[in-house]
Amino acid sequence: MKNSVVIIIAIAILAISFFVFTSTPLFIRGYSIAKTGLGEISGPLLRVAGKPADGIRYVFENYVNLVGTKKENARLRKKLDAYLLEHQRLSEIEQENKRLKGMLNLMEQRPKTMVAARVVGEDVKNWFRCLIIDKGRSSGLAPKMPVITPKGLVGQVVECDRWVTKVMVINDTNSSVDVYVEGRNSRGILEGTGQSPLKLKYVRKNDEIEVGDRLITSGKDGIYPKGLATGIVTTVNRNKPGIFAEVEVVPFNNFTRLEEVLVIKK
Amino acid sequence: MMKVALYLAMGLVLTTLECSLFSFLPTEFFKPDLGIPFVIYTAFFLNPFAALVTSAFLGLTQEVLSGAPPGSMLFTKVSIFIIALFMKNKLYIDSRYSFSFACSGAVLVESFLFLAISLVTRGESKDIGNVMFYAVPNAIVTGFLSLLVFTLVESLNVRYFDRH
Repeated sequence: MKNSVVIIIAIAILAISFFVFTSTPLFIRGYSIAKTGLGEISGPLLRVAGKPADGIRYVFENYVNLVGTKKENARLRKKLDAYLLEHQRLSEIEQENKRLKGMLNLMEQRPKTMVAARVVGEDVKNWFRCLIIDKGRSSGLAPKMPVITPKGLVGQVVECDRWVTKVMVINDTNSSVDVYVEGRNSRGILEGTGQSPLKLKYVRKNDEIEVGDRLITSGKDGIYPKGLATGIVTTVNRNKPGIFAEVEVVPFNNFTRLEEVLVIKK
Repeated sequence: MMKVALYLAMGLVLTTLECSLFSFLPTEFFKPDLGIPFVIYTAFFLNPFAALVTSAFLGLTQEVLSGAPPGSMLFTKVSIFIIALFMKNKLYIDSRYSFSFACSGAVLVESFLFLAISLVTRGESKDIGNVMFYAVPNAIVTGFLSLLVFTLVESLNVRYFDRH
C-alpha cells in the first residue's frame, strides 16, 4: 500500500481518536465496541497472568534478598532458608486469612450488595492510578460502583468488561470524593494527586480540622455511600494566602499492595 | 503478515505481563512503555500499513489496561507512527543503540502529545504534573528495555524471517 494512502488512514484514525477524546457521542459508541473486543482478548490473558503473580511476588520479596549468602554457610543457610520460607509462607497465609476474615465480616453485613474480587493488574502508565480486578460484567459489576477494603475506600469502577473491571483509585488525579471530618463539622473534597498524600480541598481556614483527624465519605457525591473511611489528615497549613487551608491526607489503604477488594453493588 | 502478527502478539503479551505479573516490582517511578519499541520498529523496518496496524492495536491495548481517557493512547501512538514515518528517511537506525535513543525520544514526544491533546480539548489538564514528572524516567527505562526488545526481535528475524 502506498505511503500516502496509509498516511490518510492514519490521519482519519487520529481524527476519530480526537473526537472520542472530546467525548463526541457519534464516535464513542463504535470506539467502545472496539475496546470491548480487545478487552475480550486481554481480559482472560490478564486473569491467567495474574495467577502466578502472587508466587513470583512471594519469591521476589522473600528469596531474592538471600542470594548473596556465603558459600561455606550454604548448606546450613539452605536449611534455615527452607524453615524461614516456610515460616514466612505461614505468616503470609495467616495474614491473608486475617484479611479475608475482615472482608467476610464486611460482606456478611450486606451479603447481596457486595462482590469480592482479586486485584490482577495495575495501570500500565504511571500517569494514572488504576487497578484491574478479576470480576466483570458477568458478576453484575457496572461503572460508578464504589470499591472498598476492610481498611477503607479504594475508589470506583470506571470501566467494565466481561472478564475484568478497571477501578480508578482515589489517588488518581481525576478522582474526587466528598468527605467530612469524623466528629467535627467540617467538609471538603478529597482529590487525588497521583502521589501518596491526597489533597483535601475547600476546607476553610477557620474550619475545625487537626492533624490525625479521620476522614469519612459524606455520601453527597452520589457515588460513595456515607460512612466509608478514606484517610487520615497529616498536614494542615493555614499560613497561605486565600480563604482555604492546605490539607494533606494519607489514605488508609496502600494501593500498590492491594490483593483483594470488595465492590459495593448499588 | 506473519511478522506483524508476531510483533502484535509480543506487544500484547509484554504489555499484559507488565500490567499483571510485574506489578509487584517497584516500577511506579520508572514505568516503561512497551508499545513504543514495536511502533518504532515496525515504522522503520516494515511496510507502513503494518506499522499503522501495530500502532493502533498497541494504543488500544494500553488504553484497555490503563486509566487513560478514551482515545488518548490511540491518538498518541498513531501520532508517533506518523512522526516515525516522516523521520524514516532522515534518521538512520543502524544498531540497537540508535533504536534505543529513538524509543526514548518517542516516549518524551508521547508525553508532550498527551499533554497537548488534553490542553487543546479540555483547556486544562490535571495530569500535567504527573506526566511531566514521569516523562524523563519513563523515557530512560523504555530506552534500556528497547535494547532488549530490539535484540529479541532481530534474533527472531534472523532465525525465522528475512529483514529488509
